[in-house]
This record gives sequence, structure tokens and C-alpha cells, in this order.
Amino acid sequence: MNFNSPFALPFSIGCVVMFAVIAYKYVRWLYIMPDSDKRQIKANIFSRRTWQAVGECVTESLLHRRIFRVNPVLGYMHMSLAFGWFLLIATGFVETVAYMGWTPVPLRGHVFFKYYSREMPHTEMWQMVFTQVMDALLLFVLSGVALAWCKRVYSKMMGMRRTTRHVWGDRIALTALWCIFPARLLAESTTAALWHNGGFLTGTVGSLLASSLSVEALLRMENAVWLFYALALGVFFCAMPFSRYMHIFTEVPLIFLRRWGVTSDDRPKSFDHFQLEACSRCGICIDPCQLQRDAGINNVQGVYFLRDRRYNMLSAEVADTCLMCGRCSERCPVGLDINKLRQNSRYSLHNSPSFRRYDYLRGVDSSVGSGKVGYFAGCMTLLSPRIMLAMEKIFDSAGEQVWWADRNGGVCCGRPLKLAGEIDAAREMMRQNTALFVKHGITTLVTSCPICLKVFREDYNLPGIEILHHSEYIARLLDEGRLKVKCNQTEYTYHDPCELGRGCGVYEPPRQVIQSVGQLLEPEETRNHALCCGSSIANTTISDGAQLRIAESLGRSLEATGAQSIVTACPLCKKAVKRGTKLPVYDLAEVVADNLTAQSPQSE
Amino acid sequence: MIDFGFGVNTARAINMDTNDLDTAREIFDRLPDLQTCIACGSCTATCTAGAITSFNFRKVHTLVRRGEYGEAYAEMSKCMLCGKCRLVCPRGINTRGVVMLIKKKLGDY
Repeated sequence: MNFNSPFALPFSIGCVVMFAVIAYKYVRWLYIMPDSDKRQIKANIFSRRTWQAVGECVTESLLHRRIFRVNPVLGYMHMSLAFGWFLLIATGFVETVAYMGWTPVPLRGHVFFKYYSREMPHTEMWQMVFTQVMDALLLFVLSGVALAWCKRVYSKMMGMRRTTRHVWGDRIALTALWCIFPARLLAESTTAALWHNGGFLTGTVGSLLASSLSVEALLRMENAVWLFYALALGVFFCAMPFSRYMHIFTEVPLIFLRRWGVTSDDRPKSFDHFQLEACSRCGICIDPCQLQRDAGINNVQGVYFLRDRRYNMLSAEVADTCLMCGRCSERCPVGLDINKLRQNSRYSLHNSPSFRRYDYLRGVDSSVGSGKVGYFAGCMTLLSPRIMLAMEKIFDSAGEQVWWADRNGGVCCGRPLKLAGEIDAAREMMRQNTALFVKHGITTLVTSCPICLKVFREDYNLPGIEILHHSEYIARLLDEGRLKVKCNQTEYTYHDPCELGRGCGVYEPPRQVIQSVGQLLEPEETRNHALCCGSSIANTTISDGAQLRIAESLGRSLEATGAQSIVTACPLCKKAVKRGTKLPVYDLAEVVADNLTAQSPQSE
Repeated sequence: MIDFGFGVNTARAINMDTNDLDTAREIFDRLPDLQTCIACGSCTATCTAGAITSFNFRKVHTLVRRGEYGEAYAEMSKCMLCGKCRLVCPRGINTRGVVMLIKKKLGDY
């Protein structure tokens, strides 16, 4: 069979460009990967994780299960395009093999098989089945394209209030993609009109064409529509590695590398490229963003940050304007670690050597008391003395000997500087605090600040010291019966601090504690979908007014539960939420301290 | 001459005509809410670094306002960015943003 028809040329060129660019990118990124990541890959490549990655590729890259969870129609749209197209290619390949046997057929032979096979006999039962199946698959994909058009006009249909504003490169690729399948329908229908080899879809459209056009017109049209189809494919393939559609292939190596244990770091590294280019700019991260929702900031969301960074046009403003609450990552269907990427962008932008500017920290020790349990209040708790007094009451009641690390002022935990990108400077603070903890020989470190908690758990090296948030510590005291509280009928609602919930995965202990002193009412968006208070320490740019609007919106959602008071477990959240609501706002420790029964076992 | 244990201070005049105020103006343009500062000193009173060393946010702000950048940059580098000042500021000034901006703008000095 002769596969040398000129109309297929744009398709062939597109294929060469696409595969060459993608191969270049992947080889380069793998080559510049640090040795530690390469070792990680070697250690895990022959393990169960590889099979888990294969499974995830099917459920996520093809079926898009996570998007179904966001919205079923949106999920169907993505699945019909991805899975439908995949099946179209796979079934097309099998069909070609069934017709031709195992003779080598060029790629264009598989893709344009309807055209090349038009003169072959078309009477056997299995041939009919193939034709009908291919038509059904084309209809499947076309339904997705139709939904994509509808989404442009009315995205709320798919549960999206806002969609991504695309750059022109993406628009070209998008237009080409939208043309591909209607063009295929038209091309196959024209051939079906002339050669009667169509199925229920192409055959019907073909007979419609045949009834209104002469054979000469159809013959002239046939080459033109096949050329149009090949052109749409060619343009899409050429644009693909440079546009958002790079995610189609990149999600696969991303899933494998992630399963093998490769992650992004506080400093930029090669794996970041895989994450950046696996973003499909679907825009699912836009709606959850409170900067968009309440503060009207529209150019900093995950999708725009990743895009700007990928095309090397990231401004400090976009990198810095973010609460890093993590609500976007929680919804991201590709599971991108947007916060980590933003963290290492900030590192590239702002890190400066610490030199000797923090020399004044050396040897600072204003701690009081002694005991195996250390309490680190953190800067924000020092601004909320009630929390500290409540903790003192709790410690006394439980009969705990406590070493107060920073009761009279101390050194910051280092997380604020780290979040601003100044990792070298943050290390100075970490070194100072670590030395302090080791010097006083504590075995348990309790903090009432989730910001400190996260940095203690992630960045400090404290062997032999158990690090607890005060919610976990109080829950434990209650469990062990060392604290006695009275349970009343007060209805509380709980606000999950970002750093504690999404940041450290602590959701249960604070709820347990609240339920032991009163009734707990959950707001609509809770746990890993909880709102941010707006005063996040990760943000250095947004104005006071914007912070207040975010706090008020959170306040409304907490008031909607009908609770009498709001409880949170972060001193910063407490201060922020207070500005946005008329209800009283308490820290967990205050609620417990207020409900302690006079006599507990130790103090008797 | 008898030493009485005190002397005469050297003249410390700030010549606003010779000081280059362009950078200060840029900083105020970027964060205009800094103009609303009433110099109440709450930021300095709560400051974590200020409790340990002589760091003084209000003073740095004043130095920048006057165009005396050299000292301001070295001072600002002591900030730990903990954010207490932002919470207590009665004018709601984005103090952490001011710190980042001053360090960035004066980095060349």
C-alpha cells in the first residue's frame, strides 16, 4: 500500500518536532538530576511502587478520577478527551494490524487508516465491528470537545466559577485541538460518502454529504478535508511541547518519579521541571484561592505562578503574593506541590547569605523553670498572653514540670524567614533554638504555635525530643486522665489553622479536645478544605484591607454553623479571626483551662 | 582642663538637600501605607529582635525617610520577620513587606 500522500506531511512534521522536543527535555532534566534523586530512583525502580505508578497513570492520566471528584461533568470532559483519544489511537493501531498483518506501517498509516484503506474490501463482520467501534470512540471524544466549547461559554455548568486566562501559545494549541476531531469526522465522512466504508456516525454524515454534493465535488473535497485534519494535528503537535498540553506526556514521568520518592525541595532542582510542565492549567486551583475570592487578586494563583515560572517570567510580586495556605494543592488533580515550588522560587529571589547579621542571637537564653517537658510559646503566643496563662494552668493541673523556653522573650523559630525565601538566615535561628533545647535536656517539646510546630518537625534535627502541638499534648493528658474537665452544652465551631491541618496533618486531636468540653459544629469547608484566616505568615505583600476581607469571609462561614463561640489552635489565626467576627474567639488551651475541674489527681 | 566627665556633642545635622531621597521615595511609592505611620513605637515595643539587641524598626523607618541608608540596611538585616509588629500596628501597615522592600532596595548600599 502506498502511504506517500502529500496531505499527511504536516502531521509527520508535527510528530518529529513534538517527539524531538519532548525527548530533549526529558533527557536533559534526568541528566541534571542530583545524585541523591538518581539513587532514589535506582532504589525503587524494581519495587511495588512502579506498579502503583502504572495504576496511577491509568486512573489519573487517562481516567482523571481526581477531576471527577471536583465535578462529574468536568471529569467526563477531561476523561473523554484523554481516554477517548487514547482508545482511538490504540484501537486504530489494532485495526491496522488486523487489516495489514504485521507489516511495518508508518505512523500516518495508522492515523489516517480510513483514507488509506478506502479501496480495500469492506465486507467481513470484524471489519464492520472495527468501523462501528471507531465511530463510537470518535463520538465519545467529540462529546468532550462539545463540552469544552460549552465550558468556554458557561463554566459554572462544570462547577467552575472562574477559568484560566490563557496566553496566546495556549490559545493556538487549544484552537488546533478543538479542530482535530471535527476535522476527523468531516474527513472520514467525506471518504465514507465516496467509498461507503463508514459506520453509524461517519456513514450517516457521509450519506448526508453524498445527497447534497456531486461526486466530483466530493472527490475535490476529500483531499482538502484530509489536509485540514493533518494540518490541525501538525499544528497541535508543534505547539504541544511549548504549551500547556505538555502535561499530557509529562504527567506520566511525574507520577513515576513521585512514586519512586523524588520530591521538590526548599531549593530549586531538576524535578521542579517535571512538576511545572505537568500543570495542565485546568484552573481548578483558581476557585479555592481566597486571594481571588475575597481580595480580588487574579494573577498569582497556582496556575499563573506555575506558568510564569515555566516561561521564565516570574515576578517577585507573583511569587510573594500568596498565603501558602495549600488549598490549591489540595484540589490539584495532578497533585502538584505548589507550595514547595513557590518556596523554592522565593529562595531564588530573596535568599542572601546570613554573614554575621544574626550574631546577636548567640547564647541567648532567657528560659525559666526546669523539667523534661519544654514549652515553646513562639512569637505569636507571646503576643497572646492568655494562651500562655491557660497553658500554665493546664501544666499545673496536670502536675507537669515545665521548662519555659521563651517565656521572657526568645528567638523566632525561623519559619517566617524560611517562607520568605531567606533559608540561610532561617538556619541561624534554627541552630540557636536547637542548641537551647539540647542544652536543657528536654524530651518533649510542646508548642502552641502551628507555624513553629511545622518548622520543628520539618527542618529541625531534634533526636530524642518528641515534638507536640499543644492540641496533641492536651488530648494526651485527657486520654491519660491527667486532666479532668467538665463537659458542658456550649456549641463551639473549630477553625483548622492551615499550618496545623494541611501543614502538619493534625485534624483529630483538637476536635477530640473540644468534644471533651462541649459540642463541636463543623463549618461547611473544613479539615483539608478549611479556609485560611488571611494573616498567614507566608505573605509579605497583601494589604491590611485584603487580610480583613479574607478574615470576614472566614468569620461568616464560621458564624453560619450557629455556634456560640469559635475555637482555633493557632495564636495568629485567633488574632485574625477575631477581626472578622463578632463571636468570641478562643484558643483551644483557653477553652480547656476554663473548664478544668478544680481537683485533678496530681494536684490533690 | 578639668575633666568633668561630660563633653560637648559633635554637631549632628541632617542635610536633607544633600541626602539622596530617590530610594526612600521609591519605597513609599511601593508601600504607600508606610506614610500613615504615626511613630507610636508599638512595633519596636513588641519586637522579638528588639528584645535581644538594639534593633529598632521605628528608627530604621526614620533613617530611610531621611535618606540615611547605610545604617538602615545593616540594621534591617537583623529582623527575624516574625510579624508581631504587623499585628500590633494601629495603622495596619504591612511592616513585613516594608522590611523585605527596604532590604531589597538598599541591598546595593
